[in-house]
This record gives sequence, structure tokens and C-alpha cells, in this order.
Amino acid sequence: MYRAGVAAVWFYRVTWGALFPTTCKYHPSCSQYAIDAVRQKGLLRGSVLAGWRLLRCNPWSKGGFDPVR
Amino acid sequence: MTHLSLLVFSPITPLEHTARHVLNWLHYSVGLPWAWSIVALTLIVRMILVPLTVRQIHSMQNLQRFAPQMKEIQKKYKSDKQKQNEELMKFYRENNINPAASCLPMLFQLPVFIALYYSLKSFAKHPPPGHQDFSFLHFIPSIAAHTTTHWGGYVLLVVYVASQMASTLFMSATADKTQRALFMIMPVVFVFIIARFPAGLVLYWVTTNLWTVGQGLITRRLMPKTPPPDLFKRSSRTPPKSDTDTDSGGGGNGSQPDAAPSTPKPAAPRSGGGQPRRVRRKKGTARRR
Repeated sequence: MYRAGVAAVWFYRVTWGALFPTTCKYHPSCSQYAIDAVRQKGLLRGSVLAGWRLLRCNPWSKGGFDPVR
Repeated sequence: MTHLSLLVFSPITPLEHTARHVLNWLHYSVGLPWAWSIVALTLIVRMILVPLTVRQIHSMQNLQRFAPQMKEIQKKYKSDKQKQNEELMKFYRENNINPAASCLPMLFQLPVFIALYYSLKSFAKHPPPGHQDFSFLHFIPSIAAHTTTHWGGYVLLVVYVASQMASTLFMSATADKTQRALFMIMPVVFVFIIARFPAGLVLYWVTTNLWTVGQGLITRRLMPKTPPPDLFKRSSRTPPKSDTDTDSGGGGNGSQPDAAPSTPKPAAPRSGGGQPRRVRRKKGTARRR
């Protein structure tokens, strides 16, 4: 099931992600974080974690090293 | 089959409806032609995003001050990208830098784009009643048709490539030359995909790119470079006068418990070596060789 999530992230990467020349302020990047999260926690919890990470990835946050725990 | 398509498109339908409503409002109530409604919609979206992008440009300017040190790190860990990233993040944290790039503003435009795509598609299939003018500036006959159906579409595509390259120059947060070059080539590759989209969508893209360029130019000219955030940190070294004129740095680094004004000697820095370069007021010590 998690493969669907990983595929979705890759689809995003080659389409929208490729169009916008931004590199994420976190490490691993938001998309990599989403892949890791879905792999480790499953599709549902992983998606929630990835969503929360995306919300944190705004111009006011600090960024930095932030792997899936 | 209909159930399946319902399942797949269910999150998109409300998006499409919203876009259609806004376009309808711009066309019927405000009185703009359809093509200009798209331009107006784009401008509205970008206006909403202004606080985000201005903040982003500011932190990018700050970031450029640290470019030599960051290049050093990149050189040092050239072979190991992962390590390089980790070290860069560490450097950011140590120097209290807020990296410019962030995913949220970029992602915010994705639903708008999808909504516009679907509403333009339905425009082509079910055009609004009555005689409708879908043309734009006399050289695009229909914004709902494929871009390449008319020579005007090719003109629009050329403008798209140029504007995308220009906006990349302004907004790409990376200092890496090869990566930058890659981002510059990207629009040329994408043109083949975008050519199959409705012309209105390319119009959206061109508008948003031109906005990015204009915004970049204006913010660079109007706003003085904000001092790097660590000036706050160094307040025990800098005279009190300079503290008062550096308050435009904004949020993110407001708390500085270690900046006690009564400390006679330099406060102990948090990080390891290379402090002199951070005292920006003294020209002579600003560079570390």
C-alpha cells in the first residue's frame, strides 16, 4: 500500500517539483521525508506526517535536519 | 467506471468549481474578458502569496552574505551529497540563518493550476452560453484550445520560456552552478509538454512568472538588505547604537537570552571556530581567509 504513496511523490517530483527551482529548507527534503514517512509508518500515518512537515516548511520556520522519527 | 472516475476526481471537482466561480465573477461581475480574467486570477493568487515570497526574498538576500562559507562547505564535501546537505543545515543552524527556499508557497500554486486546467478543459467542452470571446490580445484566438493550434500559441510559448528563465534567475535558491544551469534548461524541455495544454494555462504561467520577476526587481530595489540575523546575537560586541537600527530583521530570531548588555567581554559563542567573520561592522575582519 505504501508504494502508492511513494509513486505519488515520484509523480510530483517529475512534474511539479521539476518546474519549481526550489530546494527544501529541511534535510531530508519534504518529498524524501514523505517517502520515508510512508515507508516507515504506513500510508495513512505517513501522509499525515508528510502533510505536517509541508506545513512546517514555510518561510517562517527555521529548517534544518529533521528526519522521520 | 463512472464510480471510479468520481473517486479519482472527487478532490479536483471542488477545485474546478471554485476556479470556475472566480473566473465567472471576474468575467460577468467585474466585466473582464475571459483571457484577462485568467490574468486577474493569477494576480489575485500571487497577491495572496506576497507575504510569503517577500519573506523568502529577504532570507535569500541574507543567505547570499554567507555564500563564501557555504561554498567552502560544498567544496569540502563535494563527493558526498548527503554529508554536504547535513553540514549545510548545521551551518544554517549555527549561524541562525533561515534558508530561503520552502515548499509551502510553491505547493500552494499546485491546486490553482490543477483547478485552472480542468476548468479550461470544461470551457472547451461546455462553453458558457451565448457568443463568447476567448481571444487574448488578438494573437491567441482561444484560451481553451491547445496552445499549438495557432501561431499565436507559439509566441506565447516563447514568452513562457523567457519568463520562466528570468524567474528562475530570481527565485532559485541554490548557488550550485550545475543545478542552476539545469533549472534554466528545464523550461525548454517542458515546452513540449506545455504545448499540449490549453493556451489559458500557459497564460497563467507567463503571468505568474512575470509577477515573480517584477516582484524580485521591486523588492531588491525598494527594500534595503536586512542585516543578517546574527547581528542580534553579537549585540554584546556591537555598540548599543547599532542595535536600534537593526530591528528590521523580523521574526524568527527574536529570542537572544545570551545577549546580555552588561557583559564586558565578548559573549561565548555557541559554535566552534570562525567568529571574526561574523562581525559585519568591522570591514577588516569581515573576511576570513
